[in-house]
Amino acid sequence: MGTKKFLTGLGATATAVKMADVDVITSFPIRPYTGVMMILSQMVANGELDAEFIHADGEHAQLSISHGASAAGARTFTGSSGVGVTYAFETYSPISGGRCPVQMLIADRTLDPPGDFGSEHTDALGCRDQGWIMGWAETPQEVFDNTLIYYRVGEDPRVRLPQFNCHDGYFVSHIPGDVEIPEQSQVDEFLPPYRPVDPLDPQNPLGHGPQIFPDQGPALEAMRHNAMMAAMPVIEEAIDDFGRIFGRKYAPFVEEFMTDDAELVFFINGAHAHTARYAIKHLRERGIKVGLVKIRFIRPWPTDVLQESLSRFKAVGVVETNSSFGIARGGGILAPEVCGSLYDVPQRPLIASFMGGLGGEPITLKEFDFIAEKLKKIAESGKIEKPVYWLGFEE
Amino acid sequence: MATQKVEKTKVDRIRSLAKAPMDDYYVSGHRTCAGCGPAINYRMVAKAAGKDTIFVGPTGCMYVANTSYLCVPWAVPWIHAQITNAGGIGSGISAAYEARIRKGKYKGKFPNVIVMAGDGGSSDIGLQALSGAMYRNHDLLFISYDNEAYANTGIQVSPTTPYGARTTFTPPGPVVPEGKKLWPKDLAKLIVGGHPSVAYVATASIGYPIDLMNKVRKALNVEGAAFMHIHAPCPKGWGFPADKAIEIARLAVQTGMWTMWEYENDEYKINIQPKKLKPVSQYLEAQDRFSHLTAEHKAKIQNFVNHKLAMLGIKVPVEAVTA
Amino acid sequence: MKSYEVKIAKEKLLPEAGIVKAPSPNGEQESMITGCWRVLRPVIDHEKCTMCRSCWIFCPDQAIEVKGEEMAVKLKYCKGCGICANVCPVGAIERVPELDFEGGVVRLEKLF
Ligand SMILES: Cc1ncc(C[n+]2csc(CCOP(=O)(O)OP(=O)(O)O)c2C)c(N)n1
Ligand code: SF4
Ligand code: SF4
Ligand code: SF4
Ligand SMILES: [Mg+2]
Repeated sequence: MGTKKFLTGLGATATAVKMADVDVITSFPIRPYTGVMMILSQMVANGELDAEFIHADGEHAQLSISHGASAAGARTFTGSSGVGVTYAFETYSPISGGRCPVQMLIADRTLDPPGDFGSEHTDALGCRDQGWIMGWAETPQEVFDNTLIYYRVGEDPRVRLPQFNCHDGYFVSHIPGDVEIPEQSQVDEFLPPYRPVDPLDPQNPLGHGPQIFPDQGPALEAMRHNAMMAAMPVIEEAIDDFGRIFGRKYAPFVEEFMTDDAELVFFINGAHAHTARYAIKHLRERGIKVGLVKIRFIRPWPTDVLQESLSRFKAVGVVETNSSFGIARGGGILAPEVCGSLYDVPQRPLIASFMGGLGGEPITLKEFDFIAEKLKKIAESGKIEKPVYWLGFEE
Repeated sequence: MATQKVEKTKVDRIRSLAKAPMDDYYVSGHRTCAGCGPAINYRMVAKAAGKDTIFVGPTGCMYVANTSYLCVPWAVPWIHAQITNAGGIGSGISAAYEARIRKGKYKGKFPNVIVMAGDGGSSDIGLQALSGAMYRNHDLLFISYDNEAYANTGIQVSPTTPYGARTTFTPPGPVVPEGKKLWPKDLAKLIVGGHPSVAYVATASIGYPIDLMNKVRKALNVEGAAFMHIHAPCPKGWGFPADKAIEIARLAVQTGMWTMWEYENDEYKINIQPKKLKPVSQYLEAQDRFSHLTAEHKAKIQNFVNHKLAMLGIKVPVEAVTA
Repeated sequence: MKSYEVKIAKEKLLPEAGIVKAPSPNGEQESMITGCWRVLRPVIDHEKCTMCRSCWIFCPDQAIEVKGEEMAVKLKYCKGCGICANVCPVGAIERVPELDFEGGVVRLEKLF
């Protein structure tokens, strides 16, 4: 039964990519994701992985080459960070519209300006509406597991969608943790070889992506939407199977921590959930009934699961490691989606955003204390006086 | 890219029109303008390449006018690319076949991968993707069909638009009497000049189909990347009657406005070179896009052409301009 | 879980990913019949024609076929551009207004 290794998020990703027997890898350097390509290129050089390792002429090219390769039936892997993610923006919709299950690692990085290496989710979240499956991992182990799970879900003939496999730069990409590496036979059982549905192949000539008549537009868009919706049960199935084969059980969409009797919760995607868990333990010692709701998939957005989960609490603090200048409520990208999900529910919690970790700053235990304190006040007063707090600036 | 070469089929030389393949893989039923030069080019390329081919079609006339209403006129696989990234999509298809055949995941022949990009999609916004594909030497043929403008968006200037041409972004006026003021980018030379792995680069013209089809076959037969720059007059954009695309294409060669060459084994070989060149004014005067030019402008273009020919080592006399 | 799936009426369903079947070699794309564009119809004088195939190779619309011992125009797709007439070395192709034909394009109630 497998081995245990001490790996960074990037090391974990590379190991999973190798075990997934990827055919085409497209690279371009940008910190912090670069390391995964250094490891993969060495694996190819050593003959441990038989893949075309391509030095793309930029991120736009990485994605374009992956698109062509995926349409021609290859399992493909690519990745980027920060401005690299946004440089490729044009390519994302054609890839999901062509229903090519390309996988892209995003190790988050702050967009310019400022010139900054830290993790901030705006790079990935800025691409959330492009028809890609998207979610965050909190630890190197979760990164490894997500890499396999995403391929399986994205390549499922009911889904056929590309995937943004995200994790925080540095906090996850560069800090090692224990990773259980399964046997190859377990991986093969979980993730069968990619069977492309309609590949570009002279033996069966097809046209990919012709122009349409305007009245054909709505149906094509609805079908891409349906593919994303179809991903939900497929994710549940995959998570079930994953637990059975590897012995690690995940909540498919939303993981809760210390919520049984909680009145207040932190709502988080990604690495800061790790700190939040410690913060919650300390806060609980002080009698504050706080818990954690960690969202594992941003796309498809698990509306129903969140309705059930969040309606049980008095106040929700959405921790936003992203920025969207001028968005509804004046905070980050996640809170409007959380609010939107709960709007139809009669019993709604009060919701405030906490802008934190911008520029790659860690969110400290003290800051979680601050969030808890504000949430407590909100719950007690029963109203939102301020929908957004910028951590570190406000009393 | 491949570490271990995957075997490819080779195709023979076409000796005459009578021996040209009968089969068409670019078929009737597309709404390119009547008399469209790039459509003629597509037909010849598809004929020469045959059935084991995959086309990549970036946005431009050869995408928009060919694939209306969720249907395609190609009897071989075809995929849309963005105007920016045809070289990337082509690279990916080629890489996928390398990997899949080598790993035993695909049973079949390595296909001809042909990118069919406009001048905009190859010399301008798609240049990086083209250069990347050539540099990495993927097994593919990149064709730039040159109608000397961003035609599909309504004939805007591109880097290959000739000096002095009127386009909808270079309208002549009192302050800018010549319309386009810049000299065109020489895309084929750019590929030759900076991409040492590319084994075959050629220019061709729809006016000379046997030459064109044989160059396509030669390009497909080489291992790795190949590039062709094909002159394809556009009646709508250039302002000439719909029946004249071939005439104009030949005039371009007869005046030296377009040169026909191959680059192989570190050498240029000039093909189809008239013994005597006609003055460029004959070519210019046959097209409305040059109708505003003065004798001075035309002389400038003649000088430019003379210089270009000299650089290629072509020494032929130009006939005197007859009034 | 509530379903957010869109019910798409059967007649509105399109091929998944907009991926469509290619026509067969030498076939035709019947969703885009272009013969109705034609104003002037190419008419081949078979007496003059030497079967050199120039018209065939230069037609942008694959609308000239080599049919046994004769060249033939595919009127369903010929756009009437006139290139064939222009390239014919012996002047065997004449361009005749559609109006001159009993079943000419302009006279058709329903175009193909
Ligand atoms: C990124 C992007 N910018 C602009 C366009 C608009 N556009 C569509 S077709 C076209 C012209 C393409 O010109 P060219 O590549 O020369 O092909 P042609 O239309 O001349 O055949 C342009 C600019 C686009 N589709 N994508
Ligand atoms: S505008 Fe020119 S290139 Fe475009 S379809 Fe018309 S003739 Fe062809
Ligand atoms: S008129 Fe044009 S479209 Fe018709 S057959 Fe002749 S060349 Fe082809
Ligand atoms: S070009 Fe003229 S001579 Fe040649 S095949 Fe056509 S009609 Fe006959
Ligand atoms: Mg053009």
